[in-house]
Amino acid sequence: MDIAAPFAKTGLIDAATNLWLAIPIGFIFGFALFHAGFTDSRRIAWAFYFKDVGVPVVMFSAIVTGMVGLWGLSLLGLLDISLVYMLPTYLVPMAVGGVLFGVGMVIGGYCPGTAIAAVATGKLDGVVFVGGFLIGSLVFGDFFPVWGDFYNSDYLGAFRLDQAFGISLGATVLLIIVIAVVGTISMIFVQDFVWGEKNTLAKSRPFKKLQGALVAVAFAIGIIFAFFPTESFIDDSIETPFYIVPRADVIEAAP
Amino acid sequence: MKFGTRWPPIPAGILIGVSMLLAFVVAGRGIGASGAMTRLVAWVQHGLFPTATEQSAYFGKYFADGAHPLNDYVVFLLVGLLIGAFVAAWRSGELRVEVLRGPNFTARNRLLLALSGGIISGFAARLARGCTSGQGLVGGAELSVGAWVFLMSVFVGGWLVAWFVRKQWI
Repeated sequence: MDIAAPFAKTGLIDAATNLWLAIPIGFIFGFALFHAGFTDSRRIAWAFYFKDVGVPVVMFSAIVTGMVGLWGLSLLGLLDISLVYMLPTYLVPMAVGGVLFGVGMVIGGYCPGTAIAAVATGKLDGVVFVGGFLIGSLVFGDFFPVWGDFYNSDYLGAFRLDQAFGISLGATVLLIIVIAVVGTISMIFVQDFVWGEKNTLAKSRPFKKLQGALVAVAFAIGIIFAFFPTESFIDDSIETPFYIVPRADVIEAAP
Repeated sequence: MKFGTRWPPIPAGILIGVSMLLAFVVAGRGIGASGAMTRLVAWVQHGLFPTATEQSAYFGKYFADGAHPLNDYVVFLLVGLLIGAFVAAWRSGELRVEVLRGPNFTARNRLLLALSGGIISGFAARLARGCTSGQGLVGGAELSVGAWVFLMSVFVGGWLVAWFVRKQWI
């Protein structure tokens, strides 16, 4: 049997259906953002003061879920990973963009997704942030020739951590899970140490038991992953031209 | 088990991860929020200055072959995101028009900083080819080196200026 997923790329669903299915997927995303508490700018900004470490913990959990699902489905032969769009790396522009983005996040209190979710719940600071975000995007686009060369510099292709570290993909998955768990526990420790134990919900038994169980499951999956050879996940010997974006130096110079 | 309005961070993060995984499985691509906003400004500017926008080195690609910039996956995702957040807040009785800020900060100053932060983030998200979700979460799951560098840089940038805007939040 042919591999079914990703549905839109294997022809299982047409392009129009794929677009409409983005709405329920976005719905789940927005629904979860609200329940994560991220329509409140304070809860996002507090992460940078360790007053509420929800932001990194939610991000770690989302990344681990997506990572285990993506590579796990590929390993099981249910998803053709070569048809999934892999984000290309432009190392220095992304590092500089990241630093600026963090500056904007702690000043503005949102990132784009959370700001849109905040707009939907009536937060005026979210509305103003979105307005600013649109201005920033416009400035970037209209003055693109000024920073275009930098934007396209330091291109490394779809470059993965396992390739960078020279270890197997399964071991990298386990490593990310370990980083996520250690990061979560240490940040909660710092939060309690700096701000005292005010978060009673986090101290309740069902809360701890649930989160503890989820962490244990993640660890178990990571250990299983680590014992599979990389070839089970992705065949790097085959060029997959679909997701290899053209190198910056071969992109035609903009007029 | 009932958590009320705010869920514990791990289940909330897992649900965000599930939405991302659904996008991988259905569409063969990730989720994102900033791309749709770029397309929105491109569309507005195109209404005012059609020729200049179509010839723009950056926005021009959205209009290639007569394409409509808003007829794109990320825009549909954003519509779903708006509805999802609205429904969640409405179910929880949290729909409220307000300006969120620390206890010792005026609403006017908060809005000024929200605008400044928005402008910086808007620029930065384009430079980094994505935001927290489209670059950070999706690239993080794909084990992209650039995405992990981006994520670490975000926290470095945040901590660099956190001290100077602390009155806004605490």
